[in-house]
Amino acid sequence: MLTRCMIAENRKLNGSVIWLAFFIIPLFPAIMGTYNYLQNLGILKNGWYDLWTQNTLFYASFFFAPLVGLYAAYLWRLEHLGHNWNTIMSAPVRPFYLFFAKFIVIIKMVLLTQLWVLVLFVLCGHFWAGLPGFPPADIILWLLRGVLGGTAIIVLELLLAMALRSFAAPILVGLLGGVIGMLFNAKGHGLLFPYSLMLLGMNSNRSENVLSNQLLPFLAACAVFSVVFFVLAHIFLTRRDVHT
Amino acid sequence: MTSIIETNMLTKIYGSHTVVNKINLSVPEGSIYGFIGPNGAGKSTTMKLLLGLLHPSAGSVRLLDKDLTQENRLSLLRQTGSFIESPSCYGHLTAQENLQIICDLKDVPYSDIDRVLDIVRLEHARKQKVSQFSLGMRQRLGIAQALLGSPKLLILDEPTNGLDPAGIQEMRSLIREMPQLCGATVFISSHLLSELEQIIDHVGIINDGKLLFQGELSALQRHSRGDYVLRVLQPNKACETLLTQGVTVRADGNELHIPPMREDTLAALVQELATHDAGIVGLTQQTKSLEDIFLSLTNQKEAS
Repeated sequence: MLTRCMIAENRKLNGSVIWLAFFIIPLFPAIMGTYNYLQNLGILKNGWYDLWTQNTLFYASFFFAPLVGLYAAYLWRLEHLGHNWNTIMSAPVRPFYLFFAKFIVIIKMVLLTQLWVLVLFVLCGHFWAGLPGFPPADIILWLLRGVLGGTAIIVLELLLAMALRSFAAPILVGLLGGVIGMLFNAKGHGLLFPYSLMLLGMNSNRSENVLSNQLLPFLAACAVFSVVFFVLAHIFLTRRDVHT
Repeated sequence: MTSIIETNMLTKIYGSHTVVNKINLSVPEGSIYGFIGPNGAGKSTTMKLLLGLLHPSAGSVRLLDKDLTQENRLSLLRQTGSFIESPSCYGHLTAQENLQIICDLKDVPYSDIDRVLDIVRLEHARKQKVSQFSLGMRQRLGIAQALLGSPKLLILDEPTNGLDPAGIQEMRSLIREMPQLCGATVFISSHLLSELEQIIDHVGIINDGKLLFQGELSALQRHSRGDYVLRVLQPNKACETLLTQGVTVRADGNELHIPPMREDTLAALVQELATHDAGIVGLTQQTKSLEDIFLSLTNQKEAS
């Protein structure tokens, strides 16, 4: 039943305008980050690592959460428009699976986004910053860990987009969340705030591994926040009347 | 005959407003049941309650001989096709893709898409984006979605809404064929009786959340038999004769209104009038339109 929901959900991305945002938005942090790196070569001596901190400082703090908010807002807008809520909710599938299928679809899009970010990072580093060779393999691990850190954000943004029926609100909350998340990290309380987890996972703005001895608490925080938001979504979908 | 839809004191209250008020629906298997009422009477709300999209404030729903509960809901929905509030589908996808999504969700093979597109006559538009569809085409695509998987029960909320007369005609013939074509029971709503009169065999009339009438269409039509109107040249003579026959009469110039009666009684009465030189020049029976019956039902309830 879940597989069927996922196939259906994935089909909604066919020829969708959302892919335009997918390609364009990660360009900004790559350009801003690389430019920043080149302006500060005097203090940034660690090559690929420092370029990474500059790129992900912008990407993970200001662009990732709003982008996820955009993906979530788009997927739910498809249902908010034109009474499609009635159609999906009168289909013989568990309402929670409809939500979970959207989660899986966003995970897929986020994985592709991270890949696109990696491609841009390598291109910027190689052709613009003129760095030799290739970036260290750690970065691939950090990108994947960023997805893990992003799960709580994805579930929360989906929940907001579903409940608020607004296109802009999840994006704004994402923007705000990213900034507050950065402050939480600066104080060292990153594990307590869902939007901080992505930044921690990405090793954003640090060239040494910030999670070297905190991996388990990090994973636990990701899991706890995600589960709480999933439970809220389940309650919303089963207890509440369908409004169109 | 078993009931496909049965509700028991079904009620939905929003704040202090009772939108659906203790409704006991009974929709027989294989029927085309017209659910008629003015806009805002509670039709869509009732239909959403039947599908479990809304939770009732009181009362219960039974579909296909099973209670609509959290446990039964999915198996009942699997056998139900619905069209609620004119679904507009996903505009950036083609008709084919939209139907595939429903197939995925309902676990119906994609091969069924050909069948339903053929029924709603949209084969030519299968590769077209739905955003380019006319309203009529969208309505038909909505019907096609409901038909996927040959459900035993079709719940259609105002499928003729917003269609031009030709579109309404087409939708009517489409729905009329459903029981034979798919073996389905059809529960269909409209705010216009005249739109459905030709295709339904059972009818329920709802106003202000209350079910005013429910039964076979012919029973409703019996309500619709109006007075006979006699046009005579000699109203005074005619009135005399009628009164001696014990018939109540209301005179309006040369036109005499007499209540509905059996045809043989009427024939004898006409003969009697003729022998008394009433000078009969015309005899017609007034029929109330379903709209009139609806109004009289509504007024009766409001007066009581």
